Amino acid sequence: MKLVVDGLLTNYLIRGRGRVVILLHGWGDDGRTFAALITELNKDYQTVVLDLPGFGSSQAPNEVWDLDAYVNFLAHFLTKLNLNTYAIIGHSNGGALAIRGLATGKLKADKLVLLAAAGIRNRHGLKKFGTKVIAKTGKAATFWLPGEYRQKLRKRLYGTIGSDLLVVPHLEETFKKTVRQDVQKDALALKLPTLLIFADRDPAIPLADGELYHALIKTSNLKVLKGNDHFVHHDQPATVINLIKEFL
Amino acid sequence: MNKLKVGVVYGSRSTEHDISVVTAIASIIKPLELSGKYEVVPIYIDKQGFWYSDPKLKDIALFSSGEIDNWLKHNRPVQLGIGDGLSLIKPGIAKKPLKIDVVFPATHGTHGEDGELMGLLEMANVAYVGCNMPSSALAMDKALAKIVAQESGIASTKYVWFYARDFSDNAAKVLNSLAHLRYPLFVKPVHLGSSIAITRVKSEAELKNAIEVAAHYDNKVIVEEEVQNLIEATVPIMGNDKLMPALVEQPVTHGDDFFDFETKYMAGGKKGKGGKTNGSQGYSRLPADLPKDLMVKAEQTALGVYKALGCSGIARIDLLVDTKANQVYFNEVNPLPGSLYAHNWRAAGKSNVELVDELVKLALDKYAQQQKLSTVFATNYLKQY
Repeated sequence: MKLVVDGLLTNYLIRGRGRVVILLHGWGDDGRTFAALITELNKDYQTVVLDLPGFGSSQAPNEVWDLDAYVNFLAHFLTKLNLNTYAIIGHSNGGALAIRGLATGKLKADKLVLLAAAGIRNRHGLKKFGTKVIAKTGKAATFWLPGEYRQKLRKRLYGTIGSDLLVVPHLEETFKKTVRQDVQKDALALKLPTLLIFADRDPAIPLADGELYHALIKTSNLKVLKGNDHFVHHDQPATVINLIKEFL
Repeated sequence: MNKLKVGVVYGSRSTEHDISVVTAIASIIKPLELSGKYEVVPIYIDKQGFWYSDPKLKDIALFSSGEIDNWLKHNRPVQLGIGDGLSLIKPGIAKKPLKIDVVFPATHGTHGEDGELMGLLEMANVAYVGCNMPSSALAMDKALAKIVAQESGIASTKYVWFYARDFSDNAAKVLNSLAHLRYPLFVKPVHLGSSIAITRVKSEAELKNAIEVAAHYDNKVIVEEEVQNLIEATVPIMGNDKLMPALVEQPVTHGDDFFDFETKYMAGGKKGKGGKTNGSQGYSRLPADLPKDLMVKAEQTALGVYKALGCSGIARIDLLVDTKANQVYFNEVNPLPGSLYAHNWRAAGKSNVELVDELVKLALDKYAQQQKLSTVFATNYLKQY
């Protein structure tokens, strides 16, 4: 299904009946990531999945966006479809988006589920510093190379430091702007029941981030899964679905 | 003896660019080469509108791997000579133009299937496969096609068309003009194929959103009533004067969705009982599950539309059948069916090689007929000045 929101053609899917549950995917991903989840949740809820602008089959924004621009977009999307959200489920950057949206009051929900949520940017100060240095030196060392070789080398450099920077090359600047936004203060402001699901050996978002969110969101409950996959809902779908169903 | 040079044109600035590449390479170039009769010249139009020709462009892997972007960076476009037939002028010093004997258009959607390419080929005075410029342009305008068909007594479901600008200028007025239509409705961009941006709506709130989506793609929008007790049917037809229909085929829709882009080309649709084909066109029932009288009516309606719009070579006519009211409605014409609907022709007893071979012959016949028409009219008009 398609909808024009803020001039951007947006791909989305609504299934099921009942209270509305919206699912937000992470960076470089799209709505299909939640296929298994929505198949189960559809039985009791109306699920809404969308490809955020620039991802999947949705049109990319013309300008460089930050987290707030995505929040505004999401609020407009929900208004346009006249949806009152009961719960938000956010994975990775989708989690950061949910936290920011709820804290600013632009998004509203009764419950929140964060799957390996991103948004804690300052804890890894050293790593981020390393990223900046390598990004800059990567550019400096490769600027003289022809385009395709320069891109390959930069991919390798960013890959080495575990960055998502080039996962979606056309959103490179948006990515840089988005990951600068730390949402710890926003998390602290949340008062709604929140379920946190993190993997103990997630290479992208460490369990420590989950523990920090748990400390910040007083109304939260942290469930730790054993595993090393950032995509907890793919790695252990049955467990994640059961936890969510119990929580909702 | 020199083989006939057939230039297969594909790609272009269209939402259906990728489908065109598959149609050209898998369903046209391969069988043309297999026939052993033709020298096949691939002519690829990139997404910016530049024309390229190189034997490497016959390789689907070049496109499926994404390597095409890199290839385009290292190769230069060809120029076109349209003085006496169509010639490709490759870049470089003293390169002899390559004259094309017959053009086989494989472009879907805008800037190709809509008559623009055919206009260029008419100007070049070269033989080409398929519908001519006026019938292609008519076929690609869902509103005009219905108007022309209605003039020949062929029924369509109730519809209203309007310009996208009318809606942005005065949405209330446009919505008012649609008030007499009975929900559910289908909202479509007038010129696009492959079910792109088509939305089924059940309320006025959904209608507004759906119009915005259609208007995002096209400057003209059509809103149609849904047919009750619906069975969709589609009939590929071949011929210039003597028409030959293939089988009446029934596309199988997907649950509460309808035959959308992904179902048609990517996902393959929902599995069901036997008697269905699955391929690049998704799932369909072949022949359609219709009683004999409706089957005949569907075929006759399709042939009537083909004639009314002046189609030639090949086209596919899509129909909507109300099985309770025994009524067949004309829906739209596809002047270049994806993959030529080769699976249907195969079921009707025509191999891919025979199909493309006959289409080239039809193109040459049509060209020969046109050459008999006089384009000269002697006057002393200029001498008066």
